[in-house]
Amino acid sequence: MKFIVSSSALLKQLQQISGVINANTVLPILEDFLFDVQKNQLSVVATDLETVMKIQLEVEAKETGRVCIPAKILMDSLKNIPEQPLTFNIDKNYAVEITSDNGKYKVMGENPDNFPKDPVADDTNSFTVTSAALVTAINKTLFAVSNDDLRPAMTGVFFEMDKKGLQFVATDAHRLVRYKRTDVSCPKTDSLIVPKKPLTLLKAAMPVNEDELTISYNSNHLFVTHGTTQLSCRLIDARFPDYKVVIPSDNPYKLTVNRTDFQGALRRVGIFSNKSTNQVVLSISGSQLQLTAQDIDFSFEGNERMKCQYNGEDLQIAFNAKFLIEMLGATDTEDVTVELSTSTKAGIIRPGDQDENEELLMLVMPLMLNT
Amino acid sequence: MLLSKDRHIAHFDLDAFFVSVETLRNPKLRGKPLLVGGGSDRGVVAACSYEARKFGIHSAMPMKAARRLCPDAIIIKSDFEAYSKYSRLVTDVIKDSVPVFEKASIDEFYIDLTGMDRFFGCLQFTDQLKKKINKESGLPISWGLASNKLVSKVATNEVKPNGQLEIPFGNEKNFLAPLSIIKIPGIGRETGYKLLKMGVETVKVLSEIPVEMMENLMGKPGIDLWRKANGIDETPVIPYHEQKSISTESTFQTDTIDTHFLHSQLVRMTEEIAFQLRQQNKLTGCVTVKLRYSNFETFTKQMTIPYTNADHILLKTATALFNKLYERRLLVRLLGIRFTHLIPGNYQISLFDDTQEMINLYQAIDSVKKRFGEKTIIRAVGVGA
Repeated sequence: MKFIVSSSALLKQLQQISGVINANTVLPILEDFLFDVQKNQLSVVATDLETVMKIQLEVEAKETGRVCIPAKILMDSLKNIPEQPLTFNIDKNYAVEITSDNGKYKVMGENPDNFPKDPVADDTNSFTVTSAALVTAINKTLFAVSNDDLRPAMTGVFFEMDKKGLQFVATDAHRLVRYKRTDVSCPKTDSLIVPKKPLTLLKAAMPVNEDELTISYNSNHLFVTHGTTQLSCRLIDARFPDYKVVIPSDNPYKLTVNRTDFQGALRRVGIFSNKSTNQVVLSISGSQLQLTAQDIDFSFEGNERMKCQYNGEDLQIAFNAKFLIEMLGATDTEDVTVELSTSTKAGIIRPGDQDENEELLMLVMPLMLNT
Repeated sequence: MLLSKDRHIAHFDLDAFFVSVETLRNPKLRGKPLLVGGGSDRGVVAACSYEARKFGIHSAMPMKAARRLCPDAIIIKSDFEAYSKYSRLVTDVIKDSVPVFEKASIDEFYIDLTGMDRFFGCLQFTDQLKKKINKESGLPISWGLASNKLVSKVATNEVKPNGQLEIPFGNEKNFLAPLSIIKIPGIGRETGYKLLKMGVETVKVLSEIPVEMMENLMGKPGIDLWRKANGIDETPVIPYHEQKSISTESTFQTDTIDTHFLHSQLVRMTEEIAFQLRQQNKLTGCVTVKLRYSNFETFTKQMTIPYTNADHILLKTATALFNKLYERRLLVRLLGIRFTHLIPGNYQISLFDDTQEMINLYQAIDSVKKRFGEKTIIRAVGVGA
């Protein structure tokens, strides 16, 4: 088999899917891309058995055929070859010879029949969403996903679908983010948990624009299609915790602060907190917010005061500064409000003003101060 | 890096510290065989006077055995509060006098005197410090002065009690050579036995074994041993020791296989030290349970956990460790629990596992304990334990 392809076009497409491939795999063939040539169409597949990504591009080819090519060496060479047409020659034994203006490169491929099969998209439900909406949703929730493998349900983002909208929820048991879109309509009320890795890949591969994406799912898999790029992944088969009951509905006190000022203060004061707990104490009194952190082991101390609007009783409450910084980073409004009640109950962070068809709510649990 | 030639490390060790404190408090005890330790027959000897040592008694020996060796010995129940008070007193004297020191244990100090020789002469300075400690605390203390920690410690041990010894630079090997290998810190019963079987009795012989052979024999620790035998030790004097663990243990009146009793003991002890942890605003990342059977075989098991100081998590961890550890139907003599990997901080409340009722309960319990004493409110399972 023989085909001719533009080096930079191929590299650009492969970069979208090479993230699927893990560095240390169980099966050597998972370190390969599957190349499949059909009538001037080349499709390339990468998989780690959980997540599968596929791209297509135009090539010049007279024959059809398939081969597995080791991903790392191919990527490394493409990165260093200037833009030009490359000729791929594959023989019966799956030896791959790449011819460029500069010379020839040879690499041993593998039998494509050994490459794992794609999951079958049967019995699916589908809906569409704009690319920008999905990327935004991932950006706003992914950071709160747990890394605790003992609680698999929390290691992914929970998608909750119904006719009126689409909701994304992520939690690591210490904080929770819920992002709602009302400009999406799903065929029926349903829910699923998508693991972290495919979402990270989607975030990088999908453009932030109004392109339509098609999302399909069945009981085991999620399929996302954007033009010639496809991603499918296995869903997390676990029960997402009942998060609705932990969102307090009666936090009476409202603290309003400038988002960037608050984030900056937390960053600076947080440096002086203990590196494992990142504990920062917020003391709110009248229109003044004081942030304090200390690390007794090293005699570090950080202290800042800033202006705020507050309508409640004086309160002292401790949070993990890293959590707050990440949450503030997920919002883009000028002000944020923090709804509080007592020093041991969850605080709710909301952006100052929100678009009509989206709603963001973030929850963070405090650290228990000694009374 | 400073050359070893220029380093001057002093090692101070209080002589029979617990016993010295006791005789200081009650001068009538002076000159008598004295055992400090648990009151009952079941405890071990925490310390003994030099008079008692003549009978073959040494610390860590069961009290019962010690009494058999010397029936006339006076037994005193250890009073750790008093010992820490005196230890602090000595620490304060040292702190006021020297630039860098390390408190290696309750009665041992390393002092880095590097550079001091220009002004006072290390020997003179060390001698003056000893007199000062002796005058202010009334406790006898010995010291060794050498170019590193290892040699200074060995020197101190050689001249105890109430002695002093300087090993000038270059003389380390000569000093160590004739000593028995068990004088080297780090050679315990097992390593010592292994070496003795090979015919290695003195440090001299040990130092002459090719280092490669030592490595083959014992791995990395072998190289360390060889270096020690040659008087080489580059470990620095570490000025500050953060408390690394909180622990408690108890030896039972009679050995037991009553798992209910053992469990209630475990709960009581865990609750006790978890409260201390919270009072110090600390979190632990590692729990260890220790179990000693009646035949003195001792086993420990530990587990790393996400940082916490909450009773319910620590109790669960401790119980799980105990259940894994206690697999033989043997009488248990001692049970202990230890928290390590301590960091300052407060408990991160969980969204799903912690209810508001539980958090309120914790705060209520702790405020009762703080106000009326930590024994006033405990879990029912720990009552009577």
